[in-house]
Amino acid sequence: MKRRDALSTMAILLGGAIVSTDVFFSSCKSNVKEEYFAPEDISLLDEIGETIIPATASSPGAKAAKIGDFMKVYVTDCYNAADQQTFFAAVREIKNLSQKKFEKDFMKLTVPQRQEVLAELEMEKHSKVESKSKAPGAEGDAIQTGKQQEANKTSLNAVSNRYFSMLKQLTLLGYFTSEPGATKAMRYIQTPGSYKGNVPYTKGDKAWAT
Amino acid sequence: MGDINSKGITQNTFDAIVIGSGISGGWAAKELCEKGLKTLVLERGRNVQHLVDYPTMAKDPWDFPHRNHLTLNMKEDNPIVSKCYAFREDAMQFFVKDKEHPYIQEKPFDWIRGYQVGGKSLIWARQTQRWSKYDFEGPARDGFAVDWPIRYDDIAPWYSHVEKFVGISGNKDGLDTLPDGEFLPPWEMNVVEKAVQKRIMDNYKDRNVIIGRCAHLTEAKEIHLQQERGKCQARNLCQRGCPFGGYFSSNSSTLPWAAKTGNFTVQPDSVVHSIIYDEKKNRATGVRVIDAHSKKVTEYYAKIIFVNAAALNTNLILLNSISTRFPNGLGNDNGLLGKYVAFQNYRGTLSANMDGFLDSYYYGRRPCAVMMPNFRNVHKQETDFLRGYMVFFSAYRSAGHAGATQMGEAFKEAQSEPGNWGVSMMMQGETIPKETNYVSLSKDKKDDWGMPLLTISVDYDDNDEKSLKDFLSQGAEMLDKAGCKNITTNDSKQAPGLDIHEVGGVRMGKDPKTSLLNKWNQLHACPNVFVTDGACMTSTGTQNPSITFMALTARAANHAVEEMKKGNL
Repeated sequence: MKRRDALSTMAILLGGAIVSTDVFFSSCKSNVKEEYFAPEDISLLDEIGETIIPATASSPGAKAAKIGDFMKVYVTDCYNAADQQTFFAAVREIKNLSQKKFEKDFMKLTVPQRQEVLAELEMEKHSKVESKSKAPGAEGDAIQTGKQQEANKTSLNAVSNRYFSMLKQLTLLGYFTSEPGATKAMRYIQTPGSYKGNVPYTKGDKAWAT
Repeated sequence: MGDINSKGITQNTFDAIVIGSGISGGWAAKELCEKGLKTLVLERGRNVQHLVDYPTMAKDPWDFPHRNHLTLNMKEDNPIVSKCYAFREDAMQFFVKDKEHPYIQEKPFDWIRGYQVGGKSLIWARQTQRWSKYDFEGPARDGFAVDWPIRYDDIAPWYSHVEKFVGISGNKDGLDTLPDGEFLPPWEMNVVEKAVQKRIMDNYKDRNVIIGRCAHLTEAKEIHLQQERGKCQARNLCQRGCPFGGYFSSNSSTLPWAAKTGNFTVQPDSVVHSIIYDEKKNRATGVRVIDAHSKKVTEYYAKIIFVNAAALNTNLILLNSISTRFPNGLGNDNGLLGKYVAFQNYRGTLSANMDGFLDSYYYGRRPCAVMMPNFRNVHKQETDFLRGYMVFFSAYRSAGHAGATQMGEAFKEAQSEPGNWGVSMMMQGETIPKETNYVSLSKDKKDDWGMPLLTISVDYDDNDEKSLKDFLSQGAEMLDKAGCKNITTNDSKQAPGLDIHEVGGVRMGKDPKTSLLNKWNQLHACPNVFVTDGACMTSTGTQNPSITFMALTARAANHAVEEMKKGNL
């Protein structure tokens, strides 16, 4: 799904603070145990995030934005139990695919191999774990119209895959709201001082982070 | 309850008492203090001092552990307030949590409240348009509610009075459907908004597209510098409290101004139980206050009382002010207190894309949208529903454009750049006040302070459904004519209340048989009690309401002082 397609109408109308809107979570209590996020799990999440958003010449990647720590906090505090299960299942599936394809831990794979694992994850169907709740981290689903959601599904990939999209959305949210993501990969000014309605844009110029 | 008054009558006696420190209570305090009245402002919530109590005002996105999202626990504990667009990690400290202050929904109603000094003026949406003559004439012309006892000309000078002090940005558009005010320089439209503006106005001769008018200092004039407020910095982080005083709130403006007179006392943590009525004098003599923490009851006395507790709580206090003379609530001789509550219809939204304009972007975060004053049924009845709606829209480039890749360097680059333009549109519809939309007091359920719970019974009607349908079809047609693509319409089906524009229950009118307040916002039956918050509204208009509450408050306060001088109060 195109990030930030779905925006809070109110937020836009009140000046375009394009921060993700709330997703309505079903009423399940969190059951995340501390052991699910051991240091090696955080390292694995860092590398998964880094595969999606790598460090480049111009800006640090998701690992530098401590994406693993962010995922721990967000999944623990903001996801419902069903979405948490999907998240952990996605991580397990990455481990399985790494072994199946390369007989190695994801951590020991090369960057192209990691991308191959995630691409495989993206292509896989996981209908049996499809949750009825909205895709976590899929920002602003709550205000998307049915048509928009349908369009996003079909335009992106005929195979709806929550495993990959969940990890991707978490990475995008965590990265672009982090200090390196907002200030290096995008442009961020807390206090612009004024508003200008028409400034020249050249392809390649970064977007405003907020 | 024991009315034990530890401080003694003299110490607890003021010239005026104002119940509530929000946007209208702040104005009552300012006007009354400036005119020399010793004024006590009672606020049920905690104290919030400008700058001192804005803990999140300087935070960056990464300073919030959940990146300004709500946790699951917060949502589960607060199913009502978490629906509000502004209730997020950065501003949740200024909203009432569901469990703290329960109420009874006979029909779904999302009651969004801010219990603190400054009330909801800290977290309001800050859009400020004058009513037009058509709005004040509406009920009489169309035969609903009752006739307003005032017209545009009665309030126009008071709009000017408050606008100069508040600081309202806007363009002088010369429209009789949305009269110009005392404006600071307007905000700018972006290129796509200008294109949509031109195309809509070319296609519809009777429709206007103008930049929003809002309570932000695009220029700090002398009067604003005297308030120690500065120019709006286009941060759009307003609901956290503004370090620059760039937008108007009671905290940044009216309350400190009132304090400078030496006549001002604000008392937080003071839950008003009821207004005390003296049968011999035929006047209210004071208020009973419950200390929010100790629950101790104290009485305070004054010659005049302004009730500015926010629309529905003002109803609650009056309904709870029982005496032999007024067994059904203060001033409630006709049984209409609490009835004819109305709100604004926000259900309709549209979104669309606009091709092109990719060589243009914007800088800064503008705190308002583009708007279209109501164009339905303005001069005569034209549709199958009464009244109309204001349209708001904005154009923006959201970050990230769709690409073939889903990860890696190219993906990152694509996500880091602005995508194509999008356009978002919403309605703000007038609703028709009805006797069947009402609030009342629970007979058996009480809150932690012993106050009866408010029962709210407010719903949409067929007129709202028709107005919504019309907006969605007109909105889609206008966006189409404006050259937009992929136009989608949406009915949020949100409950009344989430608009946070609830009004009425203590309406103004000419006739004491059919209204509660006279043209000066005095209770017909108890003229030293003034109601000047949203509760006083006879109808809703299509405008954002707060600037009208402020103007009515200033007007009523000045009338009160004049009447006191004449010995009439």
